[in-house]
Amino acid sequence: MRIPYDLESFPLGKGPMVMLVLFLISCFFIFAPAEEKGENLEFWIFANTHYEEYQARIPIFEAQHPDVNVKLINYGGTMYDKLLAALLSGFGAPDVVEVEITPIGRFLKGAIDEIGFVDLRPRLESEGWMEKLVVSRLTPWSYRGKIFGIPHDLHPVVLLYLDDLFKAAGVEMTEIETWDDFINAGKKATRDLDGDGKIDQYAIVLDNKTESDYFNLLLQRGGGFFDVDGNVVIDNEIAIETLAFFTSLFNEHKIATPVYGTWHGDPSNFAAMQDGKILSVLAPDWYVGILKSQVPQMAGKWKAIGMPAWEVGSRRTTTRGGTMIGITKQCKNPDLAWELLKFAYFDKAGLINRYETTRIIPPLKDAWDAPIYKEPDAYLGGQPLGELFIELAPDLPPRYQNPYWSEAADLLNDAIFNAVTEKQTPREALTELAEKVRSIIAKDQERWGEGIIDEFGTE
Amino acid sequence: MNSERNRYNFWHQQQKIAPYLFIAPFYILFIVFMGYPLISSLIMSFYEMRGFQSRIFVGISNFTDLLRDPIFWKSLWNTTYFALGTLILQLPIALGLAILLNAKFVKGKNFLRLAFFAPVLVAGVFVAIIFNLIFDQRAGLINNEFILFGKEIGWLSKGEYVMPAVILTGVWQWAGFNMIFFLAGLQGIRQELYEAAAVDGANWWQSFVHITLPSLRPVIAFVVVVSMIGSFQLFDLPYILTNGGEPADAGSTIVMYLYKNGFQFMRLGYAATIGWVLFIIIAIISIAQLKLLGIFREE
Repeated sequence: MRIPYDLESFPLGKGPMVMLVLFLISCFFIFAPAEEKGENLEFWIFANTHYEEYQARIPIFEAQHPDVNVKLINYGGTMYDKLLAALLSGFGAPDVVEVEITPIGRFLKGAIDEIGFVDLRPRLESEGWMEKLVVSRLTPWSYRGKIFGIPHDLHPVVLLYLDDLFKAAGVEMTEIETWDDFINAGKKATRDLDGDGKIDQYAIVLDNKTESDYFNLLLQRGGGFFDVDGNVVIDNEIAIETLAFFTSLFNEHKIATPVYGTWHGDPSNFAAMQDGKILSVLAPDWYVGILKSQVPQMAGKWKAIGMPAWEVGSRRTTTRGGTMIGITKQCKNPDLAWELLKFAYFDKAGLINRYETTRIIPPLKDAWDAPIYKEPDAYLGGQPLGELFIELAPDLPPRYQNPYWSEAADLLNDAIFNAVTEKQTPREALTELAEKVRSIIAKDQERWGEGIIDEFGTE
Repeated sequence: MNSERNRYNFWHQQQKIAPYLFIAPFYILFIVFMGYPLISSLIMSFYEMRGFQSRIFVGISNFTDLLRDPIFWKSLWNTTYFALGTLILQLPIALGLAILLNAKFVKGKNFLRLAFFAPVLVAGVFVAIIFNLIFDQRAGLINNEFILFGKEIGWLSKGEYVMPAVILTGVWQWAGFNMIFFLAGLQGIRQELYEAAAVDGANWWQSFVHITLPSLRPVIAFVVVVSMIGSFQLFDLPYILTNGGEPADAGSTIVMYLYKNGFQFMRLGYAATIGWVLFIIIAIISIAQLKLLGIFREE
């Protein structure tokens, strides 16, 4: 057989011919259907620590469910943008996904039936999980009666302090019960050590640029940004008094110093702790995990007590942060996905392993009797930290979720900074903030109530 | 015979079409990844999302809202401030470095050129993280090692110092990059011009003003326009350096505000509006600059 034309007669010569061949070959690989065996579950996460845990444990799940392949993908911080695009376009979303407490707000926007996550309430109720979980931890993942995720964690907050330095200032921290006690102790411990007129050590470090520490105090006191019905309550008396108290720690009592760097996890903040410039911090369980990995040399120096209470006998903790696991509506086999959810979040062996690496206490009450939570913690000089967390856990305040939380948190940061730097009074700052957020919500409601709605026609 | 002829025709046509086919990938990619998004974002700016699955027509209210949005104005000012900082501080420094590294008396030019260029090879995220440590109010290098105005400056914690900190970081990262363009421009100036000027008794300054600057005009125009476009698209550096624009939006830029609206607040319509307004601003500034620098003038 004769080859019709020799290579040289190919238009533009040999080079383009080679490029064309390579192009066709790569097209084949790109568009060739992947070989599929059994069921596939795609599972997206954003946290490296979780990745290590799941990577080690997913083979166990796959062994329990032959014919199932779990595809675990850790996208880090960019996961939310990818998830957003997948939910918007109606395809490409994972079956199972973990989402954090602040980004979840944006995924709850729009009509309740159009939210991209499966309501897990029927499954949680019919299988009796509601009684086994700390119910206040379902609130961050619930909206209008539906539960879109199950909680990964409790994230109780304790007061972590440097015992030796407080003792050197004549303060026995275990005797602290209320915030008034703490202010008195803090005034003793906040000192100019070398007599140059500048304060060298502050009793506590607080974030004055973001909502984190103010929100810790507000939730502890039973307040919040939104109530259970989605109303804005950030301008009520509890919120205003709490902000006034928060600013007084900096300006009136002068026992607090703003966080070094951009947030509590900044290296400069850790340096200040090592130098004894800051003596205490409001620490959720995960923050203890960060300290352990970032400043292991401080082992034995820290101790923990419950947060000082607003009144004698009132709540001594709050909650900070959180992650959920949920099933997207694009999942083809929600029953199987539900099995994976339970395996990841309710399996006791897994939860013990999780505490070992991250110090995170699970919201599953049955799991708390495991001996590991009572073990002395060398990082805290032998204090059994897990026991303290579990003691505080039943008292965790609810934190109501809302689709407008992302915007609200962004504006709340500004309000707090303005109040702490005395550009506005706490009342002015929070009243203005509440009005802004109410008007954003009102505008959407007004728009959505009437007019032409253009359905995208996706599922 | 007939088939021979057909084959000839086929090849004849092929040769005409082939060039278009070879450049087609660019146009296909351009239409899919640029043309379509451009048009759909323009359409989107007249809508607002209602959750994830539907949107609602809102007319021009995204545009009117934007004009009344204080955070947008603040972000626009911050971005303009950065652009001015780039123009007034960074480009003269880049030009100065280029002149120094082009001078005969400087030793180790190649090493110095590489050293000044190197920061651009570092990803913006790392630059931001490192400068975060450098600018830290109490533990940072600048406040600890240099006494500035006899006080501790809250670079990243006081609103008025945030953008200067971002500008200084920008200078560190980009001055060396722009220097390379100026250097290339300087090397293209004919040496005879300077010799002739020297014969006529011109001093260094006179040669700089009357020979160097006019000869560099196309390079300056290019660097200014590209830097301005880059400045108005500023995002990653302040986003990390200021933890998303803190405190109180002092570090917010237009693109950061666009990102927040689109990806954090799920207001894709509003974000598209910000994008188009930004496009218009950049277009006006670029055209004005090119006009001022005489690039449209016929030589």
